[in-house]
Amino acid sequence: MVKQKVGLAYRVAHFFTYHPWLKILSLLLSVIVWFYAKGEINRFSN
Amino acid sequence: MNFINLLLQYWQPIVEILILWFVIYHIMLFFVGTRANNVLKGIIVLVLAFLLIQVFKLDILDWLLTKLLGISVIALLIIFHPEIRQGLARLGQRHLFGPNLHEEDLDHMLKEIVTATENLSKIKLGALIAIEKNDSLTGYIESGVAIDSRVSSDLIEAIFTPNNPLHDGALIVQQGRIAAAGCLFPLAVNQELSRIFGTRHRAALGLSEESDALIIIVSEERSDISLVYKGKLYKDLGRDEILTKIKEILKSKERNG
Repeated sequence: MVKQKVGLAYRVAHFFTYHPWLKILSLLLSVIVWFYAKGEINRFSN
Repeated sequence: MNFINLLLQYWQPIVEILILWFVIYHIMLFFVGTRANNVLKGIIVLVLAFLLIQVFKLDILDWLLTKLLGISVIALLIIFHPEIRQGLARLGQRHLFGPNLHEEDLDHMLKEIVTATENLSKIKLGALIAIEKNDSLTGYIESGVAIDSRVSSDLIEAIFTPNNPLHDGALIVQQGRIAAAGCLFPLAVNQELSRIFGTRHRAALGLSEESDALIIIVSEERSDISLVYKGKLYKDLGRDEILTKIKEILKSKERNG
């Protein structure tokens, strides 16, 4: 069987169309977790 | 220029957040469509509540929620140990550079499979066929008898004919070829599964819980054809419906998420 290449445009379009809300929510959560961890580190180092 | 300076100044937090985003997104993606989905929503609500409590400095609630989160981590590990096990197994099985089929090859393969399933259902013979997508089914192939042949409806029908030594297990199609037959799949742990479904359906759902394979089932009793994908069962499908659904699933490049 012959390999079929997946184009860059398809990958970019797929990134925005596949579970967009999950991506937004996970980005929001990652920012919250990062700031929380940063706050905790600063609290313990001071 | 300012943007580049800003990027150079804050590249570490940006990279850290991006890595966190990637990890959190893939954890959430793994839980979508499983019984842990609602639990995940609950955890998100708890995290947001925790954030609000921190912002408004509600100390008593903060203390209570901190204690509750500590205990709930252990509880979640115990309750969802099958999902965690499956997730880790899936992580190890993922094909990073798996080949895809040409449109004509895919069409030919699917037509042969659907013709075989139609013929088998007409004469009330059961069948279980798994088509590998991104997650490798090599472990399951090893549980059966290796065939390594082109997909042909006659061969599939012959395999599932009673008294054939291989008719009892499942047939696996890997990279457009019949890889093995007589393979064993794990049975689904889903207690809600209707009692009218037999071992074949449970095995199909079991495999779909552990991989992203597409599984076709021909029922012996009802002589209908069903499709199982990622824990979802599509019952009693006609020829065109099966072809459309399989193509739709196989063509979605979900590994790029």
